[in-house]
Amino acid sequence: MATVKLTNVKKIYDNNVVAVHDFNLDIADKEFIVFVGPSGCGKSTTLRMVAGLEEITAGTIEIDGKVVNDLQPKDRDIAMVFQNYALYPHLTVYENIAFSLRLKHMKEDEIYNRVTSAAETLGITEYLLRKPRALSGGQRQRVAIGRAMVRDSKVFLMDEPLSNLDAKLRNQMRAEIILLRKKINSTFIYVTHDQTEAMTLGDRIVVMKDGYIMQVGTPTEVFEMPANLFVAEFIGAPKMNILDTTLEKRDGKYYVEAYGAELPIDDDKGAALAEKGIETQEIILGVRPEHIQLSHAGDPHSFRCTIRVNEMMGSEYHIHALTESNQEIIVRTPTMDLTREEREQLEHGNEIYVTFKGKVMHFFDKETQKNLLV
Amino acid sequence: MKKKEGLEYLKMGRFARFWYSIWMFICSMPGRIVNLAKKIWTAIKKAGIWIYSEVKDIIMTFVHGDWKTRTSYLIMGFGNIARGQVLRGILFLLFEAAFIFFMIFSGAHWLSLFGTLGKTEQGRHYDEINDVWVTSEGDNSFKILLYGILTLIFCACLIYTWRLNIKQNKIGQQLEADGKKLKSGKDDLRSLVDEQFHKTLLALPLTGILMFTVLPIIFMILVAFTSYDGVNNGFSKLFTWIGLDNFNALLTLADSSGNSISYTFGEVLTWTLIWAFFATFTNYFLGMLVALAINKKGIRLKKLWRGILVLTMAIPQFISLLYISHMFDKNGMVNNVLVNLGWITDRINFWENGMTARILVILINVWVGIPYLMLMITGVLMNIPQDLYESAKIDGANVFQQYQKITLPYVLFVTGPYLLTSFTSNINNFNVIYLLTDSVRANAKLTVNGQAVKDTDLLITWLFNLTTGATADYKLACAIGILIFIVIAIISLIVYNILPSNKNEEDFS
Amino acid sequence: MSIEQMKTKSRVKKLVREKQKERRQKQHIGLKTSRIVSNTIIYIILVVIMVVWLVPFFFLLMDSFKCDIAADGETRVTWQSDTIIPKKFGFDNYVDLFTKTKFPRWFINTTLVGLACAVLQTTMILLMSYALSRLRFKGRKFLMNFMLILGMFPGFLSMILLYKLLSDWGLTQDNSIFGLILVYCASSGMGYYISKGFFDTIPRSLDEAARVDGATRAQVFSKVILPLSKPILIYTVLTAFMAPWGDFMFASYIAHTRDVGKNVAVGLRDLISTASGMADHYTWFCAGGVIVAIPITLLFMFLQKYYVEGVTGGAVKG
Repeated sequence: MATVKLTNVKKIYDNNVVAVHDFNLDIADKEFIVFVGPSGCGKSTTLRMVAGLEEITAGTIEIDGKVVNDLQPKDRDIAMVFQNYALYPHLTVYENIAFSLRLKHMKEDEIYNRVTSAAETLGITEYLLRKPRALSGGQRQRVAIGRAMVRDSKVFLMDEPLSNLDAKLRNQMRAEIILLRKKINSTFIYVTHDQTEAMTLGDRIVVMKDGYIMQVGTPTEVFEMPANLFVAEFIGAPKMNILDTTLEKRDGKYYVEAYGAELPIDDDKGAALAEKGIETQEIILGVRPEHIQLSHAGDPHSFRCTIRVNEMMGSEYHIHALTESNQEIIVRTPTMDLTREEREQLEHGNEIYVTFKGKVMHFFDKETQKNLLV
Repeated sequence: MKKKEGLEYLKMGRFARFWYSIWMFICSMPGRIVNLAKKIWTAIKKAGIWIYSEVKDIIMTFVHGDWKTRTSYLIMGFGNIARGQVLRGILFLLFEAAFIFFMIFSGAHWLSLFGTLGKTEQGRHYDEINDVWVTSEGDNSFKILLYGILTLIFCACLIYTWRLNIKQNKIGQQLEADGKKLKSGKDDLRSLVDEQFHKTLLALPLTGILMFTVLPIIFMILVAFTSYDGVNNGFSKLFTWIGLDNFNALLTLADSSGNSISYTFGEVLTWTLIWAFFATFTNYFLGMLVALAINKKGIRLKKLWRGILVLTMAIPQFISLLYISHMFDKNGMVNNVLVNLGWITDRINFWENGMTARILVILINVWVGIPYLMLMITGVLMNIPQDLYESAKIDGANVFQQYQKITLPYVLFVTGPYLLTSFTSNINNFNVIYLLTDSVRANAKLTVNGQAVKDTDLLITWLFNLTTGATADYKLACAIGILIFIVIAIISLIVYNILPSNKNEEDFS
Repeated sequence: MSIEQMKTKSRVKKLVREKQKERRQKQHIGLKTSRIVSNTIIYIILVVIMVVWLVPFFFLLMDSFKCDIAADGETRVTWQSDTIIPKKFGFDNYVDLFTKTKFPRWFINTTLVGLACAVLQTTMILLMSYALSRLRFKGRKFLMNFMLILGMFPGFLSMILLYKLLSDWGLTQDNSIFGLILVYCASSGMGYYISKGFFDTIPRSLDEAARVDGATRAQVFSKVILPLSKPILIYTVLTAFMAPWGDFMFASYIAHTRDVGKNVAVGLRDLISTASGMADHYTWFCAGGVIVAIPITLLFMFLQKYYVEGVTGGAVKG
């Protein structure tokens, strides 16, 4: 029910460590924003500044058009879910969820209604009279979400809420958060280091590194048009293959030299490159593992490599191979399309031929590491 | 020995490595001292810069200030009131009024006498009309010293408040210029339970500490430079500043009445340090042994053993100490038993001889201290991750090696700070020494100015005796007090810098 | 703990088990005997330790019941006689203690001081340690260092000034319990270490969650942290209540030889501080000691759990 606007927000800790450099972001009403990045990138700090738990060194944060820099957390009308749940150990689940409502001196029957309906939504009704320590991790997480839910606050903050859960439960909770989001009419800011969570949950993703915003965009934008090398490598698993190479322009056509093979770039992409006025130059080439295809010796655009490890993931193989130029590449290929003989070929030490198309390539400037096409 | 590069020193044998580490520590000393000097220098520089910037800020605020701000330089809180912060303004104003009132009616008087601690002696003159001797009121050095300190503290408070008042004016003026709202008195009060909650919490404890610890310590430090004692008690006979004479008496070999204070001081200080060392480490290691024995796998009734020892802590020390002290009397229980058993014929007078008394005191202190240490180290032992032992067992370590390589380093690491505090509190361990050595005879050689000193006396018990009785020698006691502080501070500083567990406080949380 | 670590841990455990099994099979008999021997030695040591620690109290108890008559058939033997078990049991010492000395007064004095300390000291320590542990403010580090340095001065010397002040206010000698309470409690905020260590272990995110939930810092204190602090509160109350029972230094200074102002430690000690006192009142002292020890020991037995927690936790926190 509220917009959030961060303008030139900066955070410097007492020991002169700059956690967040110049953070600018407009969050629309009811949007689900995900801050994602490796640990220490300043994503949690930014969230905590929005919450009012961390002082803002410079810049302004507005919630619903009102500057909240000097407001205490309690006056900002926000709800927050913490990584370690932060449930009050001495209170029952019911009292935990009712805590904020009681502080507001709400009527007890109104509190009862809100708590029980939230508990029902989250499926924790039967635990309402238990203490947190008698609950499992997943149940605790639900209580924490319930505690934030009943508040009907403008902004809903989540600080790595799923990272203390095991993999299976995490997937389940992730789906539930998507459902939950439809029920709660709030603006969401969600912090995570897991790119899968970011991709599946966010309307928009903010990728951060070392206190700087690397890219803001929808999951599709971030995945298909990474603004720079960092975003390209961070989003997507397994990680994108990277190669230092040259982009050549000959007769109005572009070619790239990769792992000993010369690969032509198709016209669409070529046109885009030409539009940017790009000539022959040194670049960093990026190709996602799933875009590399198995090929055969006869293909002129293919190159040869030796398999080091082949990970069987069920529906697909992750093949770690070494090219002739001694560079490691990862190829991700579905198991379904392969015959039994082909599968048996994919063993340690065997040689395979692989190739990729020009339209899946990402080009990054060697100096600035920025995407040439953005 | 040369400094080895990287991991090269790992090639050395065990002893070579040991000597190497000691050698490196010695080598690092000059560097450490230089570092310390640098630190002190930067601290001084910082202080200088701070004073400069404060003064500059005060001047600049005045130069750029509007009339409200400028008036506040004389009338504190004026700016606040003028800008609508009535509560703050009135508090400032009240403080200034109280200060002026106090200075006029008594502060100035105390300050004027502070330099001499009083001029008019108490007089006695004959009142011829009423035919009685009348005592005329003179100055009271004690009160002059005390109220002088209080006045000075009050002055310091005023300067601080005045500076605060100027800062507030600067902020207020700025906010006014920006067209922003200032905090109201209501906001101020509300912030006392939120942003400023620490002030609410700390107000009471800090007032207590200021009144009952800081003030007396300042007083004590100053007394060490005066001639205050039982005779020169301040009202019937004035005392005054005598500079470093007390310390001279303590540290030089100047002799009075055959025995020198410096000799006594040296003896008592040496014994205090020996005592603190043994009292700390015997307790520590024996306590650890008991804890290990009780916690050994396969020992049953752990709770019973532990419980009995813990219960002995419940009984007030003075009872057990006095009782045990008398058990070792010449006619006491121990001698009775020994004689009855026929082991000795002549009763042993344990407390007569300085040496046996000292050993006995340390032994009995072990009796006193072990339960506590057993309990504490049990807690530490339980926290040692079990997989450390499991992997050690796989690596083929036997029980002793496990103790040497895992238990001991871990316990030492965790309880390092405790060892230090325990050492310093043993330096000041009044109860054990005073109550145990009731019947120890004074050592004639150590007696100064008729004040009996025993072989077993620590600095603190000596202090206690110095400050009680008719011949109370406060000035000397205070000088000794300062020396105790210096000794403890130096030891703490050294140990604190060596301790491995001297790490960031936040690491624990 | 990550799954990896758990895996390695269980693997390690398995290995240990196998290895132990192997070893056990190899030297089954030898190991068993050696363990029996070492455990027996430890049991013997433990029994000796327990005897050494309990014997003085047993003797004290016996002495307090001694009503032996000396050889002349008239005078009571009040000094430790050469037998441990009294020749004649009786409560004479207790009766004398209550009728011929001011012991009841001393006992009441000490109890009152103990109760007042339990309330006031706990409050002070709680306020101080909470602020230092869970709030971040300017000057916090300085304050902690400052108190550390203050603690290095021999606290007793403050009595030179405090005694004068207290006696000016009439809080010494006959009224010394009030003076004592002030001396014990006023600066007790300096003993915040153990309590702060406890507060440090409570996750910080609890405060943050409560503040986001709409609590002021004061409400965080009263509604979240305080209810969680029962163990440390009980520990603090217990130690605060017990300390005055053992203090001799301050109590004797403030009571200044006045009988009605003494606490039990000073009163009982003064009974036997002179040679004639020793001869006449020694068994009285023993009886007094027993009476003092009983209530405190009982209290301690009930609250031992919290005391143990405080000591062990405090050690780890430093």
